[in-house]
Amino acid sequence: MGKHLVKFVPDDVSATVDTGVNILRAASLAGIEIKSTCGGKGSCGRCAIKVLDGQVRYEEGNRSKKLKDQGLNLACQTIVEGDVTIEVPKDSRLDEHQVVLENENYGKVLEAKEVDILEGYEFSPLCRKVQLTLDPPNLTENTSDLTRLQAKLRQNTDCKELIVGLPILQHLAETLRQEDWKVTATLACMNGITEIVQVEPGHVANDGYGLAIDIGTTTVVVYLVDLSNGETIDKLGTYNKQAKYGDDVISRMIHAGEEGGLQELQQAVIGSLNELIDKLLDRKDVSSEDVHVAIMAGNSTMAHLLLGLPPKYIRLEPYIPTATELPPVKAKELQIHINPEAWVLNFPAVASYVGGDIVSGVLATKISQADEMTLFIDIGTNGEIVLGNKEFMISCACSAGPAFEGGGITFGMRAMNGAIERVRISPKTYSVQLETIGDGAPIGICGSGLIDCLAKLHKVGLIDRTGQFFRDKETPRLRKTDDGWEFVLAWAEESGNNQDVVITEPDIKNLLRSKGAVFAGIQSLLKSMQMDVNMIEKIIIAGGFGNYLNVEDAVQIGLLPDVDRDRYEFLGNTSVKGAKLALLSQAAYKKSIQLGHMMTYLELSAGTTFMDEFVSATFIPHTDLTLFPSVKDKE
Amino acid sequence: MAVNIVKEKTLSQVGLVKLGATKEEGGTRAVTYTIGGDAALPFHHFEGKIANRPIVAMEVQDIEPNWPGTVKKHFEGVLDKPGEWAKKCVDEYGADAIYVRLEGAHPDGADKSPEDCVAVVKEVLGAVGVPLIVTGCEIEEKDNEVLVAVAEACTGENLLIGFAEQENYKSLTAACMVHKHNIIARSPLDINICKQLNILITEMNLAHDRIIIDPSIGGLGYGIEYAYSIMERARLGALQGDKMLSMPILCTVGKEAWRAKEASASEEEYPAWGEEEERGILWESSTASALLQAGGSIFLMRHPKAVSLIKNNIEQLMKDNSY
Repeated sequence: MGKHLVKFVPDDVSATVDTGVNILRAASLAGIEIKSTCGGKGSCGRCAIKVLDGQVRYEEGNRSKKLKDQGLNLACQTIVEGDVTIEVPKDSRLDEHQVVLENENYGKVLEAKEVDILEGYEFSPLCRKVQLTLDPPNLTENTSDLTRLQAKLRQNTDCKELIVGLPILQHLAETLRQEDWKVTATLACMNGITEIVQVEPGHVANDGYGLAIDIGTTTVVVYLVDLSNGETIDKLGTYNKQAKYGDDVISRMIHAGEEGGLQELQQAVIGSLNELIDKLLDRKDVSSEDVHVAIMAGNSTMAHLLLGLPPKYIRLEPYIPTATELPPVKAKELQIHINPEAWVLNFPAVASYVGGDIVSGVLATKISQADEMTLFIDIGTNGEIVLGNKEFMISCACSAGPAFEGGGITFGMRAMNGAIERVRISPKTYSVQLETIGDGAPIGICGSGLIDCLAKLHKVGLIDRTGQFFRDKETPRLRKTDDGWEFVLAWAEESGNNQDVVITEPDIKNLLRSKGAVFAGIQSLLKSMQMDVNMIEKIIIAGGFGNYLNVEDAVQIGLLPDVDRDRYEFLGNTSVKGAKLALLSQAAYKKSIQLGHMMTYLELSAGTTFMDEFVSATFIPHTDLTLFPSVKDKE
Repeated sequence: MAVNIVKEKTLSQVGLVKLGATKEEGGTRAVTYTIGGDAALPFHHFEGKIANRPIVAMEVQDIEPNWPGTVKKHFEGVLDKPGEWAKKCVDEYGADAIYVRLEGAHPDGADKSPEDCVAVVKEVLGAVGVPLIVTGCEIEEKDNEVLVAVAEACTGENLLIGFAEQENYKSLTAACMVHKHNIIARSPLDINICKQLNILITEMNLAHDRIIIDPSIGGLGYGIEYAYSIMERARLGALQGDKMLSMPILCTVGKEAWRAKEASASEEEYPAWGEEEERGILWESSTASALLQAGGSIFLMRHPKAVSLIKNNIEQLMKDNSY
């Protein structure tokens, strides 16, 4: 078995690999991130590359005629047999664009509502600095340095149990004496236990920083929070680098089972985090030593992968996670670029598929204190739903698939510049008007755009209720290709990537299945409580739609229940908001642990209700039109 | 003490569909049928009116069918003459209607042209006075040509034409609408898809009293209980007022029953199974009688003896048992 050099252009980077390794893997080693929705199984057809030179062998994957015509091959099905040179087209690359964060203004329909995050909780950050002036020791008052420090801390704070780690202890003697017994101690308080995580010489003015982090399957968002006043001083988001191992949690879990896969996934997500953290700290001129706590909210699989726990049994029936309540770990254990002694906390999960991100969302939206019956829906790759109020809470998870985040859709993309987010179609001529994020030339379509598009295609009579095109419509935009029927949203000359931007019949069916899964989840929860939609007083939407969601469209296609639109509230990324709340209030953090226990989990794969509901909901808007009175009336 | 008899109250009833058209109505049929209209669970005369008797249609094909000898022997001499075959079914075997299956249109088989298929349907129409049910060879593209041609050529006859399916219902629906026929909406043993297809078809403006449900039954021993439960759910839905589940149901009994190995395996091969023809007849009639109890309205059948057994069964069940 020989070693071969695989060179990638135009990047001009290379990797040395053994015979038999595929190009997808080689690219990953060379630091090039290629799209691979299926995680290298040869089925998604996204990792297209061109072999310019050298010896390779091809395996039979799902290569479309389009790729064949362009002389492109699938990276995961191209096996290295000698030195090769590979060209990676722009379309095959995992995008490096930044994720749209909230507060960037675009045409809004249902605007993310700003909430007073602390509302009802006392401001008591998990970490704080205490300035101390110790009495110097003498021959008669000769207790140890540590006891002296602890005694002073007990005097000045309400902390009783004080623990300290070895690294602090190793430097304690000198630190205390350096500024003549004036020191600043940083305390981390969690669940009644306080740890001295840092001791600095002299009286340090700043109060330290914390990180609130949302680890999504698709995106990672980090808030840098000033713990002295609770303000978010900066935030950044990016794609979860794990995406190169597959788009959804299932393909990630499968990858984790392969040799070295778990480490790769752990490194990928930590890499994404560190990239953001480095940028944030640099931008705000904050020392990494001053970040003493990070709190993470992510689904169970993400939490497992972050901590390097094998997620295998989450995937296999009966779906058991290693732990739902994850112990605090030190930043140094995960090599996160903040103070090595800083605590990294994970929100507890309810079950394998209702994770810490949902507990965090429930904490942020304060459902557990609400009088009104609330339905909380987090729509991402997985749709998680919570129903309840202060009396009870029940949750479930349904696999919506990546469609709402642009995955599995020919021209699907995340909410960023050039993404189509509004579509207008003339009912007579079928001409199309588009609105894009950032008003740029359209290059793809994002989740909210897809929902709008589906609603409009049906409204003007281009598709039937199953999402099939009416093939007899006379418009050049509706056409048949080798891959089936498609509708052109933007012609190549109007688009930002010189290609016709289209939505295909399989795209529409994918989207229908996604929306069907979410609605079926909602129905299953309601049925398990013998309730109907009209009993819900408030519906909170969270999750992956960038900055806005058109509720009217979402009801028209049957994604969301047809109730008074005033009952809807869009709160954006509640996962990171909950993380921030826990960061700022010890009581809130404590509450989050309780919430993990308080929520009942409804397993949808037990019984036939969900499947039944799913088939009924895979229709525009639903088989049971009485569930959608306002849609019915309009027609 | 007086016994208080609890009766199930229903909000609605099964829809009515008319098959065939007389001369006055624009067709050429001597008899026509109205089916459906039940206001209770099947044959619960004591809970509601069972308005119309279920009907049995016997199957005729445009080519010699690939049926067991025990069935074919009853049609000896007429298997290549669809008209005479149909006449024999009606006159000798008491078929209420004729089911013409245009198997000869199959592109991999005889690949008959739409014109040839139309001629066969015309021949049967000329030979008998009962309503006709017509289906193609179940190859999507070919059926779209053949059935549209049949619909057009038989305008006014009020045929029942099938099969419309979720992925392919538009051309047949349009043809039935323009030429005033009824349609068979077939769904794959799924109550939701059944309902969805009915919605899709009515949305193309074909009235719901022109639709018959084919739930894709299974024969005895081959999933009949699934069919039973789907049919039961459709009937319960209809009685609770769900218009999109209220269409009368058709059961492809002949095809499914005779597909079973038990219906046609020879006695030499399985001596313990008993006499071959009697076994086949029982297989077909048991399949039909179970689905009769589930609420079927139209039975497509093959063996004359099974037909007579099931007609007898229908007659008994139609006797008023109210109290």
